[in-house]
Amino acid sequence: MPLVNLTAREITCKLVYYGPGRCGKTTNLQYIHGRVPENRRGRMVSLATQSDRTLFFDFLPIELGVISGFTTRFQLYTVPGQVYYNATRRLVLQGADGVVFVADSQARRFDENVDSFKNLQDNLLEQGIDIRQMPLVLQYNKQDLPPDLILSPAELDDTFNFRSVPSLPADALHGTGVFETLKALSTVVLQRLAARPPSL
Amino acid sequence: MTDPFASFVADPATQEALAAARLVADSPRMRYLLLVQGNRGAGKTHLLKAIRDRAASADPPRTVELVAVARLTELVHARGLTDAGVALRDRLLRADLVLLDDLDAAERHLAVQAFLYDVIESRLVAGQATVAATARPLGRMTDLDGRLGRRLREATFVELGLPGTAARTAILERRITESGAVVDPGLGATLAAASFRSLKEYLGALNRILAVQGAAASPILPADALALLGLESEPAVESSRVPAAAPRATATESAEFDAFLTDVTANVATQFDHWRGRLRDIIAHWQGLGFRTRRLETALASDSGWDPDPLITEFGHDAGELQRLAAEIRAIAPDLAGAEVFRDPDQLAAARHIVTESRLRRAPLSAPLPDLTLARLGVGPSNRVALEAVAAVVANRDGRHSPLVFVGPSGVGKTHLLHALGNTLAAAGLGPIACLSAHSFLGELTALKAPEDLAQWRSRYQWVAALLLDDLHLLADERNGQAELLQIFGALAEGSRIMAFTSARPLSELEGFDPRLLTRLEGGVVAEVGPPDREVRLAVIKGLLADTAAANDVGLIDYLTARSADSARAVQGLVRRLLAEAQAERTVPSAAFARETLEAVETRPVRRERRSAAASGILSPGMGVIRSREKMVLTWPTPGDRLIGDFG
Repeated sequence: MPLVNLTAREITCKLVYYGPGRCGKTTNLQYIHGRVPENRRGRMVSLATQSDRTLFFDFLPIELGVISGFTTRFQLYTVPGQVYYNATRRLVLQGADGVVFVADSQARRFDENVDSFKNLQDNLLEQGIDIRQMPLVLQYNKQDLPPDLILSPAELDDTFNFRSVPSLPADALHGTGVFETLKALSTVVLQRLAARPPSL
Repeated sequence: MTDPFASFVADPATQEALAAARLVADSPRMRYLLLVQGNRGAGKTHLLKAIRDRAASADPPRTVELVAVARLTELVHARGLTDAGVALRDRLLRADLVLLDDLDAAERHLAVQAFLYDVIESRLVAGQATVAATARPLGRMTDLDGRLGRRLREATFVELGLPGTAARTAILERRITESGAVVDPGLGATLAAASFRSLKEYLGALNRILAVQGAAASPILPADALALLGLESEPAVESSRVPAAAPRATATESAEFDAFLTDVTANVATQFDHWRGRLRDIIAHWQGLGFRTRRLETALASDSGWDPDPLITEFGHDAGELQRLAAEIRAIAPDLAGAEVFRDPDQLAAARHIVTESRLRRAPLSAPLPDLTLARLGVGPSNRVALEAVAAVVANRDGRHSPLVFVGPSGVGKTHLLHALGNTLAAAGLGPIACLSAHSFLGELTALKAPEDLAQWRSRYQWVAALLLDDLHLLADERNGQAELLQIFGALAEGSRIMAFTSARPLSELEGFDPRLLTRLEGGVVAEVGPPDREVRLAVIKGLLADTAAANDVGLIDYLTARSADSARAVQGLVRRLLAEAQAERTVPSAAFARETLEAVETRPVRRERRSAAASGILSPGMGVIRSREKMVLTWPTPGDRLIGDFG
């Protein structure tokens, strides 16, 4: 996939929201979709079950316009969080330029977060990618819930942020931390793309 | 404090300008030039003020200068760019951010454009941001300073267009809300659907309706509002297409995405466009050293500079070699050091060639004799024309008086004039100068062995600043010599170099010469030099007696001057012989001694024969040719006979 095409002056970034089921990945995309001007966004494709669980994946293309002469596009994907859709997750993860790992801050969902994070590492490894080489941002969602129900960002960092990547508290339902997460990921992804040899 | 950008409504026509403006306002220090273009009333000034307010309210606050270029142009027109201009420049260079409004007001005001270019360029070099707003597109500006135009074309360009109907509706409805007026709910949408050229006109139309509404008892219907404005009351097609429940971005929602876009824009600029900044820095560096940077500028204008380092390294290598070549050429051929090729790395090959040639021609050339200066030349009617020609050549060293040809019989001072010209040119810093006789010229030519020697020899003369060739007539029937001279003549004439010649015969009487050479010589300035008149003789005699005990002997000087001579050389011979006689007799020369000595010469032929022919200056060296009238008078009368003759 041509990420940076100098001849066509195009930058295309594939960003994937990863995490356990019901952690708020689709909510992130819905919030972003609602804030992006119509002319900048494509149709949000969301294949969900009757109970609104993501069946396949969500896809939201965003046209950022011409920036410094580059036609810049972000393609946001979510993976289905449920355990039995791992094949789909692998498929979506292919060619990703960056990953947001959305962790559910509820203490009772801790183990599912850990499993999903391990699953992310495994799926990347299957594609020959060490997670340490992948631009990654951690989002600790649902931080708006009562403190006695959730783990603090510091506690979650202890478990997941072993390589000091950007981590942000969020309340995706109300938008807190959603764009901050996207900004943080776009920064590291663009840095990474710039460091790679361009495709001509 | 409220975000100054909150007053803008998200719209595709303004989105990019807003994102770029936010980027500038939020970046404390950035090497950036942003050009905002939009029609009158599009909101450019509003945008600049938003940048100013946002930057000024940052923590720590930043100093922002908002310059109305129209006002600046008026001031410059009235007072010129004097001390106030210098003070303003200092202020603008000190500011964290400079905003230039109505840049197109500087159109046709080259002084203002030069001032603005200087400010923009200096700020870019210092890594500071400048934003300029213009109503006229760059391509339509007339009389735009080339440097300013180039710089602006390289700027980040954003357009502030007319917002779409939905955004215009939002803007008008917000204005209605701010006014507190009670109006028909459809007024904003109706006005937004009307056709005006700029946002300012939409707001102006609304203000008129609101003013009328203030005096009306009930809300003015949209159709009546349009009628008040003199517009058709039919609803616009575009308006009818806007669904009532169409999602309309609120300022807060828009701000969130805009902030994200600003961030991405800054990131892309930093990560993917850094090479432009690097190239600009390198261009500024080499231009500061006086080098042409066309190669780098071409790369900057193209989109191919992903990694500019190889290009920069190559350019630096070429410029470095050019610096070394320029240093060498300064040493071996100072007159060529200022040549353009030594400042243009794209002409490195030409510079190498020039230096190679210069090395070859560095072999010493025959220089003018240092004693033969203008100061030691007697001036009189006989050589005044020639001297004026010399002065003209010295004053205009561009070859316009070339070739200069001194014509006159032997011994009248042509050689002196030629060497004096050479010495004067050398004193004026011109070089290298080749001053030699045609005899030496031929000697050098015939001594050449190999063909490559001939090329090198020719090259030496083709690069001189001045070629001064004595006794041109000696080249008669020398076909090779004339052919070479013709070639050298052509090269020097092409380079507007100085050429001067002497000939003992008028050009029209020269025989055995290539007609092409003669016509070229006749196309120059021909100055005749006649036999020395009294003034010239006096100057020659005074010069020769200057260091002797007889320097101030007026009687002797008068006596010697009164003696006629057909050449300056004859006069010199006369005086030298007198001084030699006086030295031999251990006496101080006087008029009586001179008369006795010189007039005895003619009555004592035996003694004359004893004299060295070379020392006399009268006898032609070893050839026995009659060279002066003095020699022709073989029986000079005794003093008594002369007195009788003079009074008789």
